[in-house]
Amino acid sequence: MEFLDLESQDGVRMPWNVLPGTKQEASNCVVPVSAIYTPIKHFANMPVLPYSPLRCRTCRSVLNPFSIVDFAAKIWICPFCFQRNHFPPHYASISDDNLPAELFPQYTTIEYETPAEKCSSSSVFMFVVDTCIIEEEMAFLKSALSQAIDLLPDNSLVGLITFGTLVHVHELGFGQIPKTYVFKGSKDVSKDQLLDQMGFFLKKPKPPTGVIAGARDGLSSESISRFLLPASECEFTLNSVLEELQKDPWPVPPDERAARCTGTALCVAASLLGACVPGSGARIMAFIGGPSTQGLGAIVSKNLSEPIRSHKDLDKDSAPLYHKAVKFYEGLAKQLVHQGHVLDLFACALDQVGVAELKVAVEKTGGLVVLAESFGHSVFKDSLRRIFQFDDYDLGLSSNGIFEINSSKDIKVQGIIGPCASLEKKGPLCSDTVIGQGNTSAWKMCGLDKATTLCIIFEIVKKDSPDASVQPSSNQFYFQFLTYYQHSSGQMRLRVTTLSRRWVAGPGSIQDLIAGFDQEAAAVAMARLVSFKMEIEAEFDPIRWLDKALIHICSQFGDYQKDSPSSFSLSPRLSIFPQFMFHLRRSQFVQVFNNSPDETAYFRIILNRENVANSVVMIQPSLISYSFHSGPEPALLDVAAIAADRILLLDSYFTVVIFHGATIAQWRKAGYHNQPEHQAFAQLLQAPRDDVDAIIKERFPVPRLVICDQHGSQARFLLAKLNPSATYNTDSPLPGGDILFTDDVSFEVFLDHLQRLAVQ
Amino acid sequence: MAAPVPPGAPRQQPPPPPNYNPNYQQNPSSLSDNLQNLNLNRPPSMPNSAPRPSPFQPPHFPSSAPSPSFSRPGPPPPGAFPRPSVPPSGSPPPALPPNVGTVRPTGPPFSQPSPFGSRPPPASLPSAGSGVVMGPSSGAPSFGSLAPRLGAHPSPIASSTTPSSVPPSVSSGGLVSNGPHAPPFHGGPRFPPSGAAPQPPLMGPPTAGAARVLPQAPSMRPLMGSSGISAQQRSPFSAAPQGAPSYSAPPQGMPSFSPPPQGMSPPAGFPFGQQTQTQPVAPPPIPGSAPPTMFGMPPPPPLPNQMTAISPVVGQTGGSLAGSSKIDPNQIPRPIPGSSVILHDTRQGNQANPPPPATSDYIARDTGNCSPRYMRCTINQVPCTVDLLTTSGMQLALLVQPLALPHPSEEPIQLVDFGESGPVRCSRCKGYINPFMKFIDQGRRFICNLCGFTDETPRDYHCNLGPDGRRRDADERPELCRGTVEFVATKEYMVRDPMPAVYFFLIDVSMNAIQTGATAAACSSINQVIADLPEGPRTMVGIATFDSTIHFYNLKRALQQPLMLIVPDIQDVYTPLQTDVIVPLSECRQHLELLLESIPTMFQNSRTAESAFGAAVKAVFLAMKSTGGKLLVFQSVLPSVGIGALSAREAEGRSNVSSGEKEAHKLLQPADKTLKEMAIEFAEYQVCVDVFITTQTYADIASISVIPKTTGGQVYYYYPFSALSDPAKLYNDLRWNVTRPQGFEAVMRVRCSQGIQVQQYYGNFCKRIPTDVDLPGIDCDKTIMVTLKHDDKLQDGSECAFQCALLYTTVYGQRRIRVTTLSLPCTNNLSNLFRMADLDTQFVCFLKQAANEIPSTPPLNVREQVTNFCINILLSYRKFCATVSSSGQLILPEALKLLPLYTLALVKSTGLRIDGRIDDRSFWITYVSSVSTPLAIPLVHPRMIALHDLDTKEGNESPIPPALPLSSEHVSDDGIYLLENGQEGLIYVGSSVDSKILHQLFGILSVDEIPTQFVLQQYENPLSKKLNDVINEIRRRRCSYLRLKLCKRGDQSGLSFFSYLIEDKVPTGGLSYVEFLVHVHRQIQMKMSS
Repeated sequence: MEFLDLESQDGVRMPWNVLPGTKQEASNCVVPVSAIYTPIKHFANMPVLPYSPLRCRTCRSVLNPFSIVDFAAKIWICPFCFQRNHFPPHYASISDDNLPAELFPQYTTIEYETPAEKCSSSSVFMFVVDTCIIEEEMAFLKSALSQAIDLLPDNSLVGLITFGTLVHVHELGFGQIPKTYVFKGSKDVSKDQLLDQMGFFLKKPKPPTGVIAGARDGLSSESISRFLLPASECEFTLNSVLEELQKDPWPVPPDERAARCTGTALCVAASLLGACVPGSGARIMAFIGGPSTQGLGAIVSKNLSEPIRSHKDLDKDSAPLYHKAVKFYEGLAKQLVHQGHVLDLFACALDQVGVAELKVAVEKTGGLVVLAESFGHSVFKDSLRRIFQFDDYDLGLSSNGIFEINSSKDIKVQGIIGPCASLEKKGPLCSDTVIGQGNTSAWKMCGLDKATTLCIIFEIVKKDSPDASVQPSSNQFYFQFLTYYQHSSGQMRLRVTTLSRRWVAGPGSIQDLIAGFDQEAAAVAMARLVSFKMEIEAEFDPIRWLDKALIHICSQFGDYQKDSPSSFSLSPRLSIFPQFMFHLRRSQFVQVFNNSPDETAYFRIILNRENVANSVVMIQPSLISYSFHSGPEPALLDVAAIAADRILLLDSYFTVVIFHGATIAQWRKAGYHNQPEHQAFAQLLQAPRDDVDAIIKERFPVPRLVICDQHGSQARFLLAKLNPSATYNTDSPLPGGDILFTDDVSFEVFLDHLQRLAVQ
Repeated sequence: MAAPVPPGAPRQQPPPPPNYNPNYQQNPSSLSDNLQNLNLNRPPSMPNSAPRPSPFQPPHFPSSAPSPSFSRPGPPPPGAFPRPSVPPSGSPPPALPPNVGTVRPTGPPFSQPSPFGSRPPPASLPSAGSGVVMGPSSGAPSFGSLAPRLGAHPSPIASSTTPSSVPPSVSSGGLVSNGPHAPPFHGGPRFPPSGAAPQPPLMGPPTAGAARVLPQAPSMRPLMGSSGISAQQRSPFSAAPQGAPSYSAPPQGMPSFSPPPQGMSPPAGFPFGQQTQTQPVAPPPIPGSAPPTMFGMPPPPPLPNQMTAISPVVGQTGGSLAGSSKIDPNQIPRPIPGSSVILHDTRQGNQANPPPPATSDYIARDTGNCSPRYMRCTINQVPCTVDLLTTSGMQLALLVQPLALPHPSEEPIQLVDFGESGPVRCSRCKGYINPFMKFIDQGRRFICNLCGFTDETPRDYHCNLGPDGRRRDADERPELCRGTVEFVATKEYMVRDPMPAVYFFLIDVSMNAIQTGATAAACSSINQVIADLPEGPRTMVGIATFDSTIHFYNLKRALQQPLMLIVPDIQDVYTPLQTDVIVPLSECRQHLELLLESIPTMFQNSRTAESAFGAAVKAVFLAMKSTGGKLLVFQSVLPSVGIGALSAREAEGRSNVSSGEKEAHKLLQPADKTLKEMAIEFAEYQVCVDVFITTQTYADIASISVIPKTTGGQVYYYYPFSALSDPAKLYNDLRWNVTRPQGFEAVMRVRCSQGIQVQQYYGNFCKRIPTDVDLPGIDCDKTIMVTLKHDDKLQDGSECAFQCALLYTTVYGQRRIRVTTLSLPCTNNLSNLFRMADLDTQFVCFLKQAANEIPSTPPLNVREQVTNFCINILLSYRKFCATVSSSGQLILPEALKLLPLYTLALVKSTGLRIDGRIDDRSFWITYVSSVSTPLAIPLVHPRMIALHDLDTKEGNESPIPPALPLSSEHVSDDGIYLLENGQEGLIYVGSSVDSKILHQLFGILSVDEIPTQFVLQQYENPLSKKLNDVINEIRRRRCSYLRLKLCKRGDQSGLSFFSYLIEDKVPTGGLSYVEFLVHVHRQIQMKMSS
């Protein structure tokens, strides 16, 4: 696929690779003009230039292969603003056959790393640990944490905060006895108060004005090192503190929830980091085992008779604490973004813990999130290990990113849906319509990794021009993405991706648009957009919106005779799009009522940070079938794919299901795979396991693995995702013998309706 | 039970272990009920009188028999006599050990008087003047005083200023106690015959008993020696000479005594005066032999000089002085130290026996009334009407020290368990069963001596009455024959299970505390004291430190090391853990020791100058809230941050002099209400706070002390804190604090017979309802003053009872009710009141009230009040009781003859001095509010003894040499003196002391080498050993580890020493003792004439 090639060069996929040239046409296209960009995607061949980039004098865009260079005059013309720039003296030797790398046509994505800017600051981890959990969970968590601590790079700084009814800030640097500062869980503490109370100004009075920001101004490194120590120095202390860590000792009445002050703990952590290591890309890793019940950010009262909010409550606006909590976390997010710190969330509980409220803080800081049922679950344990593992599958955690966009003047940016925060840098580039993080041309990405993917929504502002004659040079739109970030090695880098896309307008442009349509990217953009709208717009009806969009696209780009549904056909470029939409309508992103608000928030956070391929899996899981008759082959995501003698592997991103057909299950239970004469059967059983392992290795968070048998209770994980082509209403049962107990329409019915509506 | 006895370190006496616990919860309501009842008084029912009648009726008591003899002689008083006599000779002797016997003797005399008094009332009284007569301008007064005692005949004295007359007269009435004697006077004439001669006979009977006693008697007296006693003693003298006196005297066994050598001894009281002895009077006094008896001084050994001189002095002096125009400073009344033990029966012949002075060493035997240690009244007879009381100028109040430390030889308080039904109580007033409840109707019903209600006797408590109208089992049941008993509290008295013994230590670790060594001292003291905490699973401890933040420690055993938990928010505090900051001692001993050892080093480099005292206390309170308990705070600087932060207002006051002068006393008030509100909350949850202030700067004790005051705690003050000399005191104070007998979560109420009600309580407690006081903590040192008021007339001849019920929890978690009952006769006779006045109690009550006033009233006004109080009493006495006609004499009631001296001392005391440090004054005020009677007197009127010649005095019973008058005349430049007030001991080293002595005592060669910080050491020489013995003995007796300081002339230390010599004239305007007497006299004269 050509789109994949483009992605593997620049890390960008766009629903429209040929752009509608005018505002009107763009709005007819329904799917917005957008780019799904992975800013620091790993490219094996990408050069890293050891010098500073050359920037345009007016628009600050970086010299790129699309610049027009006058070798004789030693001048380059910026493709965005057409400013003519002189090359500086050290480019004197530039010539047609002596190009700097940034001008090589294939290096549309390139990185600069200025040695002088090497940042010595090491990574900082602040563990924030919930202690209101049962002893068993406590034990799991302790062991996971101590493993993590073992894996920490020696020079990384570590701090520890535990919380329950109260917040305990452990002073790891106090040698004589274990020491903690205890803060009231129900009370908001400002950063200044916190510093004051933790004795930061004892030896050095607080500066009368200005912000306290680390050792640079205000704090002695001595007082910082009371709370943040190099892992190598505090490993022992940390381990012994963890070892002694007890379940929150405050009694919990039988009719109440534990008093848990998650919000306050995070606030304290943020303030502490803000004081000690501002701008350093520190990570707050929060391990949370239940709902916050007190202080700011509480999501539910302590009273057990009051249930934790559901989607229904949110819809009816009957979750009394929800908005307050969200507001609090928005404030926290703002603070963290300002400080350049990341909030990672590990929510492990059977109950909801408040991911829905925390989402804003996690997302804006680019934090990681893992949702599991228990601290003993592999989803949590393995994910945590992945974070600290430095090998081929390392996440490439980077920090302190700033993302900027330049583009041709007829294009504006509405915003970004993804893990970033607006820096509120307003400019001509900003559209009046705001989607996601908008109204800016620069975004902060406190935390980002190799997989972090943004969805940038553009707006075409070019008016219809009666003048059909267009100059070839001007039917290109240029985009430049600048990502300035701190590489996991500690160095500051700038990645520059410059793109050019052709635009078309006027009659006859539809075929060009179709040719440039990337239906996967479009599906993902639509998924992010519909999720976003569901969260933002109060009375939003996602099904209706999606259906309208799909119908509009089909009637716009389909090939049909009016009012003749049977005549309807779609170009192969568009053919799978309706299927994506069908599954998107049924997905956890739209059908939220099967999930808790926490789960929905979790799914959406992940959706918003994943690349196109993974997002598509979330929308429409992949199904692979294994049988004796053939090798592994993709199967239709349909109940018809079930057969007694097959093994199915369903990858829905969050969950991976290995489904043994009834016969296979019988054989397995009879132990045939252990018999030498049934080697083939053993291999058949093993094949999907191997594939699953491959998936798990690459994916973060680690998916949940479900191994189940046909007709088993766990089979629901598979059945829920299948197209209900055979239900209990169906007259003719399928050979596989499985039916789904649902009233949902099947894809066929959906398509029938679509065709009918599209041709009207 | 006994185990608990963490016997006070000082004293070896174990506290009555199990016994002390009352509960309280339900009491409150019951108490209030009672009150109402009381008000309701049933007039007629007032049975009290009924049972009581006995007092007057000698017949009842067989013992009285002997008395009769006396009575006869004495006309009306007979009844009275009987009793007195009875006790002495009567049963007591046999039953009691010899000593006891003696004790009684003294008792009787008093009782007798009353009877007399009643009859002859007014007229006699005046004459009685038993009071001391002071020649106002004329020096005579000094003698006068003596005279008065002799007093019985004061009249004579008065009239005849002449010495001669004096002696005789004196001897008679005076002794008896002014009041009583007076009557005698009238009778006197009749008696006269009996006079000298009769005495023997009269005395005879008693003597018989007494005779044996004699030897012992002396000892007794000595005790008496102190003020109160002295009165009696003298009376004896008088008695001796005159027949009349005999009454009083007789009981005392004067006769018997006199004969013996004692003659000389007389005077314990006199001792001081004695020096003047020059007066030949001796001869007359001889009769004075009586004196000897009185003082028991016989033990001349101890105070030989004084003793001897005194007796003579008395009689003679009186006379001579009167004549002379100047007061002889050596003759003016001064406390007579007693060195031997007095035996005291609380009741004799079914009559209340006036207690020995509070400051004396006595062994009380509870024969119905409580021991005076637990409760004593300002007057040992209760005026029947409020008018009578007002006329006297005295006040009616009780000093209650419910857990007072008994003498080791005293019988322990008995514990009574009534099982599930709980103690028998009056159903109307809820008064507890006591010896004065009268059973009637074959024991089927009983009449409450407090409210007069008649109750059914619970069936299982029924017992038939004997021929004497008492229950047959009365002597077997402690609650029916003892003034103090303890009941086991039932569930009804508990709102929750009795609390465990919780000790929480809170230590200041701010920069100053660390650098001055205060933290180290506190930690090491605590570390040592842990071993002294009560054993057992119910003993819990916790520890926290604080500077500008509060540090708790998780001492839970599972932890490898204690975990420090810091509460940094000092505006809104909380406890960091609910459970593990307070853990059973047995589970954390090692952690605790480890921690205490490391705390000083842990904060070694602390730069935190701020101290969040209020917040820390509040935070710890929150941790202790669920159980309650004792919080011991070690504070070293002015609390400067957090809740209840204080400002250095002392400095502000100083810088703003003009307003400072006028408003200075405001600095003695708490800065704001924050701490008070906190304290009330603490009290509600049974948290008792003690504060140890180890500071070198102003710490605003006025504000801080509110917390201990309200929670039943106490303030300890170490200023300026010395890391060298103070740790030992800190340790000893702390040890005594936790080991002394004490109780938790207590509630106390005093009930009175109909006609009297409680007006107000003063002390360290929290009061939430008008009738009860809440005491989160109560210990053997805490005294509560209870002022009383009449709401009706009492019946002459009846008895009025006071019952204090203290419901508390012992350190071992038992709930107890300690019930202390005191029943006193009522009188309509003013002179009886004066005769039965209890100087120590009277004065201490006044002291406490004055202390209470100081923060809200300018010092000058308070001084004036103090002086007027004294003057008014003397004026009343002069007006209504003394017959002396000469206006030139100052007449002092015998019992109150030291009142002017004490008053002067009070006027010059730390609390009323304006030049003192604010904190010193605040501390003084705080200390006074809960101080016990025996310790209050020395606080105001310290004891001074000579140290340089310790080794030359051998053979004293007591290692403590006799006290010297507090006058610089008695301080010589080549001497070394110790002046102690129960709190600190100033050792003054004269400028020309023999360097050999210096070396022996202090290891230095010259006065110039005197160190500012002093630690007493024992060197290998007898003198040094003696000194150590003396100091240790004083510490032991005071239950207080004196803070020793060396003083020398010419510097600050010297000035502070001399500031305690209250008899001296102070350049800034303080009168000398003599001048003060003159001043008082003039005032009286003015008022008489106006």
